[in-house]
Amino acid sequence: MAAPSAAGLGWRLRAWLPRIMPVRWNRYNPSYLEPEVKKESYQKPLEELTEEEREQRELKAVRPIKAAPPTLSSSVFSDPMISKFTNMMMKSGNKVLARSLMSQTLEAIKRKQLEKYHKAPENEKETIECNPYVIFHQALKNCQPIIGLTNITKGGKTYQVPVPLTDNRKRFLAMKWLITECRENKHRRTMMPEKLSQELLLAFNNEGPVIKKKHVLHKMAEANRAYAHFRWW
Amino acid sequence: TLRLICTTTAVQRKNVGASGPEKYTEAFIKKQIEEFNLGKRHLANMMGEDPETFTQEDIDRAIAYLFPSGLFDKQARPMMKHPTEVFPAQRKIQWGEDGRPFHFLFYTGKQSYYSLMHETYEKFLNVQKHQDQLIAQDLPLQKEKRNLAGSRWLTKIELEEMLLEKLSDDDYSRFIQLLQKLVALPCADIEENYIQKFSKEVPVQLQKVVIEPLQYDEQGVAFSTGEGKRKSARATAVVYDNGTGKITVNGTDILHYFPVLQDREQLLFPFQFLGRIGKHDMVCTVSGGGRSAQAGAIRLASAKALRSFVTEKEVEFMRQAGLLTVDPRVKERKKPGQEGPRRKFTWKKR
Repeated sequence: MAAPSAAGLGWRLRAWLPRIMPVRWNRYNPSYLEPEVKKESYQKPLEELTEEEREQRELKAVRPIKAAPPTLSSSVFSDPMISKFTNMMMKSGNKVLARSLMSQTLEAIKRKQLEKYHKAPENEKETIECNPYVIFHQALKNCQPIIGLTNITKGGKTYQVPVPLTDNRKRFLAMKWLITECRENKHRRTMMPEKLSQELLLAFNNEGPVIKKKHVLHKMAEANRAYAHFRWW
Repeated sequence: TLRLICTTTAVQRKNVGASGPEKYTEAFIKKQIEEFNLGKRHLANMMGEDPETFTQEDIDRAIAYLFPSGLFDKQARPMMKHPTEVFPAQRKIQWGEDGRPFHFLFYTGKQSYYSLMHETYEKFLNVQKHQDQLIAQDLPLQKEKRNLAGSRWLTKIELEEMLLEKLSDDDYSRFIQLLQKLVALPCADIEENYIQKFSKEVPVQLQKVVIEPLQYDEQGVAFSTGEGKRKSARATAVVYDNGTGKITVNGTDILHYFPVLQDREQLLFPFQFLGRIGKHDMVCTVSGGGRSAQAGAIRLASAKALRSFVTEKEVEFMRQAGLLTVDPRVKERKKPGQEGPRRKFTWKKR
């Protein structure tokens, strides 16, 4: 009924057959690998970092590779973190609006930093960071919590247990907190780029409500240290 | 020929190799093979070709010529194949006249699978013993790494055909795990023959696609065409050499056709990846799909066209960057009983 997937290499090579109903994650045969877009990784000669890299290369030469998504590109302006953040800001699939808001935010950050740079005395000029991408990455890093809490039900009562978080979860929480903070706790008339740039600059200097939220979470985890042994994984 | 007088529960369960009484005896199959070979020689004589060098393809062509058929299903047309392909491989009857089975693991139900597991584990223990001997004699362990990327294990279907027995997914994965453990040992080279029975070569380079040569138009400018698709958008792109980097889509400039930056970035992606931004001109036509789908289709078409301008290594780099694969993701259909492809109707308690 449904057309077979792009892995038209013959049924014998892949025991995987496309399902009757193609679902989001099985349009690709599981043997397809993720594409590598950065130009620099292809220019490295054979004296590579580790044997793992060499094995990876050989594997890539044999296996089919998925198509690169439209958000990914090899240009210097495409950044995976920025695209993730843009996707999280997007509402009802309006990627155009989200992307324009993101670029306006970065522009606003740059303007504010340049203002500060031109007003600052000579000796402080080097300490002021003007690159909005660097500020964005550093701000996100500062907002990431180290430890999180989950609900574990034991003996009828639900406890908040401190639990280590994966990298992906940390990044997601940082981005989510930033966006909710901007959407809810600000004055109605301010534009989103303005609010976001303010928040990012505060987070870059380790101040602001998002950092406070992170510290509150850490304190709660510290307070519930006694229940840490409830975790079984 | 042995007629089944009494059946055991093991046989009553559906088994690939022993379904029903033995339909094709060995003598029957031998006779079929002789008849097939005779028929092949007759056919070669009829077609006026040499009977000694008459291959299966020639047979197929001859049959298609002598018995033309307008049926749509290829399997329904007249065909002449070797009897081993026509009659499925079957197991011989597993027990003797007294009803006693030959194989000692017959009553497990999957005798070939379990005997295979036993054999493989025996090899595993052999390798370990050999390893211990080498350690006892203080000799260095051989560490030649097998090329894992160039070979793959047999699939479940192939293994089933080899053993003539149905396997479950669990059984298959257990067997593959055991094989991997065996291969991971340093002295596994001893059992290389045994392992090769279960591994197959994968074509090292997935470059089965033929790259077309460049074409030249009236002024001597080299150009090449490519086609691409994404969702329901179809695009054709013609990439000219010695250009200034101008790109025209459906007669209009890309700045007017794609007002969004993301789409223009996608169009320039193949050129930027190869470092040839100002060197090529492009003229494309695109139809169908939406704004992003059209951009993806043109990207694929231009990447395919650029293959002719570029060395083989760079083509491989483009493939590994995901520029040359067709994106199979399409809109998922809505299912009955649900509001959308995933969203269920609002649950009401009463």
